[in-house]
Amino acid sequence: MTSVKAKTLRIDGGASAAVVPDTAPPVYKRRRKPLTFDKVSFFVVFLGLPLAIYLLFVIWPFIQAFGYSLTDWSGFSPDQNFIGLENYRKLFTDDIFMKAMGNNILLVICLPIITIILSLVLATLVTVGGSSKGQIKGLRNSSFYRVVSFFPYTIPAIAIGIMWGQIYDPSGGLLNGILTSLGMDQFKSYAWLGDKNTAMIATMFVIVWGFIGFYMVLFVAGIKGIPAELFEAARIDGAGRFRTAVSITIPLIRDNIQTAYIYMGILALDAFVYMAALNSGGGPDNSTLVMSQQLFFTAFTKGQFGLASAMGVVLAVATLIFSGLVFLVNRLTGGDKDVSL
Amino acid sequence: MNVQQQSFARRGFLRGALAAAVLVPMAGSIASCAGGGGGGTTGPTGTVSDTNPFGMADKSTVDAVIFKGGYGIDYVDFAGKGFENAHSGSTAKISPSTDIAQELQPRFVGGNPPDLIDNSGAKAIGFSTILAQLEDLTSVVNAKNLEGKVIKDTLYGGVLAPGTFEGKLAALNYVLTVYAMWYSDALLKDNGWSVPKTWDEMYALGEQAKAKGKYLFVWGKEAATYYQEMAISSAIKEGGHDVRLGLENLKADCWSHPALQSVFTALNKIVKAGHFKPGGSGTQFTAAQAQWSNAQEAVFYPSGSWIENEMKDQTKSGFKMTGAPVPSVTTSSKLPYASLHSAAGEPFVVPSQGKNVPGGKELLRVMLSKDAATNFAKTKLAPTIVKDTVPSDGFGSTALVSQTKLLSDAGDNIYTWNFIDLYGTNKDQLVVWNTFLDGKSDVATLTSDLQKITDKVRNDSSVKKIEVK
Repeated sequence: MTSVKAKTLRIDGGASAAVVPDTAPPVYKRRRKPLTFDKVSFFVVFLGLPLAIYLLFVIWPFIQAFGYSLTDWSGFSPDQNFIGLENYRKLFTDDIFMKAMGNNILLVICLPIITIILSLVLATLVTVGGSSKGQIKGLRNSSFYRVVSFFPYTIPAIAIGIMWGQIYDPSGGLLNGILTSLGMDQFKSYAWLGDKNTAMIATMFVIVWGFIGFYMVLFVAGIKGIPAELFEAARIDGAGRFRTAVSITIPLIRDNIQTAYIYMGILALDAFVYMAALNSGGGPDNSTLVMSQQLFFTAFTKGQFGLASAMGVVLAVATLIFSGLVFLVNRLTGGDKDVSL
Repeated sequence: MNVQQQSFARRGFLRGALAAAVLVPMAGSIASCAGGGGGGTTGPTGTVSDTNPFGMADKSTVDAVIFKGGYGIDYVDFAGKGFENAHSGSTAKISPSTDIAQELQPRFVGGNPPDLIDNSGAKAIGFSTILAQLEDLTSVVNAKNLEGKVIKDTLYGGVLAPGTFEGKLAALNYVLTVYAMWYSDALLKDNGWSVPKTWDEMYALGEQAKAKGKYLFVWGKEAATYYQEMAISSAIKEGGHDVRLGLENLKADCWSHPALQSVFTALNKIVKAGHFKPGGSGTQFTAAQAQWSNAQEAVFYPSGSWIENEMKDQTKSGFKMTGAPVPSVTTSSKLPYASLHSAAGEPFVVPSQGKNVPGGKELLRVMLSKDAATNFAKTKLAPTIVKDTVPSDGFGSTALVSQTKLLSDAGDNIYTWNFIDLYGTNKDQLVVWNTFLDGKSDVATLTSDLQKITDKVRNDSSVKKIEVK
């Protein structure tokens, strides 16, 4: 009860908080309105149905997976023995799974940062990066750039993977073709995806390439929501383009950035399609192997569904922790009391 | 205050609803299990006779799920028609699948598997996981085929071995695959080269090929383990069946067997001399194969006999694809040079829980008839396990002719191994082989990495081991 009160008091504002006595005052009961058909059908359709679907297709499978992760189920027979946390012990002592987890962590750190920084720069350029005289606007032909950079997002992920797989091909690939024609002969049949020093970087590049346009459009929408007067005021005060971006744009589209960070992070924790298309086996020395791939192999080629379920649970927990961390960091850096328009 | 109360009530309601919804299923979840299927049902049975050896009921339906890979499913459709002719009123329902494991997993768990499955492809079900749920197919090979001959007598030797697990014939592998080192007969003739019979000759040929701007081998990242197949095959030839049994039974230090070590050393010398086309670890395997069959950048490619069909559209005209045995280490190897890794592939299984088990066996019996087997060889340019279905001109295919020759040269010296498919370790081994073929590791690293993969399976008590004698 107390926590509820504390919360509601804050809604009322500080002044009224003082006058609320500890013992609850007589409550003015509102007359309960009769449940009409309209009301009931509204509840059923807009509350009951989505809740039921959510429980059936999200919560229930998750609980089931957790149940299976405590067994040695092979996936193809009805026999399953309860083995407690043995699968989890096995996972955390398995060098390949730990490597996959490490790769996911690397992705979750790098991918959102690179994507967001690059798309923020682009978004700023096409919205407020134009001439410093006259009306605030983007670079010349910015609408063209906006459309062009959105193109990659319209290609399905698997097609992106296959296409870049061809571009990186050591013998006939476009990339090595360009590099060797520029006189860099060391790249003749250089295997970008086959060398553990470059495989991960090359893969990250592909993912970033695929998403940059989308996040740019997201940020453009956010920046367009900021009144032009603010930018004009800043300009009159003598702020340059960089200063404007850091002091005005970024704080004002903070929520968008946070959303982008979480979405991109969840993608980085999965990344299955890109990894499977570019290096289906996990790459040289497993340098691009991710947890979702290892889960798939364990379940369907090794027939260890119990162990694979445990991987699924670890993956889900990692995703939750990640989202929690992003919110926490945002709060600690003052995101909750930041300006909003 | 009204507002406060109302908000509390609404939140409370939602929270309560959510909690109840989460808790209720949780109570049942641990206790519940995905299983459900009861004991095996064999369905109604008919009278047993020579034309109906398994006692299939009249006018019944057979449900077959067939892997749709390089061979397609039309050969089973063909047999299905034969089945329907032989048993009027019965129907054969034949469905394709490219993802056997994922598609059939729920059916196995639910106790409702198909009557006949071609458990093949990259996503096949690992045998050790379903072995206990499969019928013993000995009755099928003991039955008479449509022409009235006992099926067992019409098959090539040793073809039942790969489907036999601990004495039970759980899978009938329908297609005969010959593993060999494939080359263009035309290219070799043009250059006056001959097929190397030892690894030393192979190295020498590599030097000659280099002078002509060609490599000895190409490889693709998804198929680096084709060279593992080649190495194991060559080592078995050198060191005899000891090598094979060590690997099959996941023995400690099995990869350190002297025969395997000498093959690894020979391969390493070839890798380090640059006779492998660089960049294979980043090349898609079909692209790599085209570098061999179309661009002719390399002389040899180790693979199974599916290679001809797989690269049909990307083979240079006049290539004359031919297979040769893999090189041996010395000329005094334990098994003769002509010994061969050959295994029957496309394992057909009949789950015990299927609705029409006799029907599944009956369809398999029809597939083993001379008519159906000849149809397969003719349309797929690959022999089945049924003998004498390929004419001497091999339907115009040099590869098919060379397969028949390889098989007859090898005689009884045919061997195969199962441990990679049984325990699903190919993916882990790919990583190790890519690094080795790239020249980034050496024999010692290759050996210890492969041993680590073997040891991991051996030490995992949850993996059911199958002993091979």
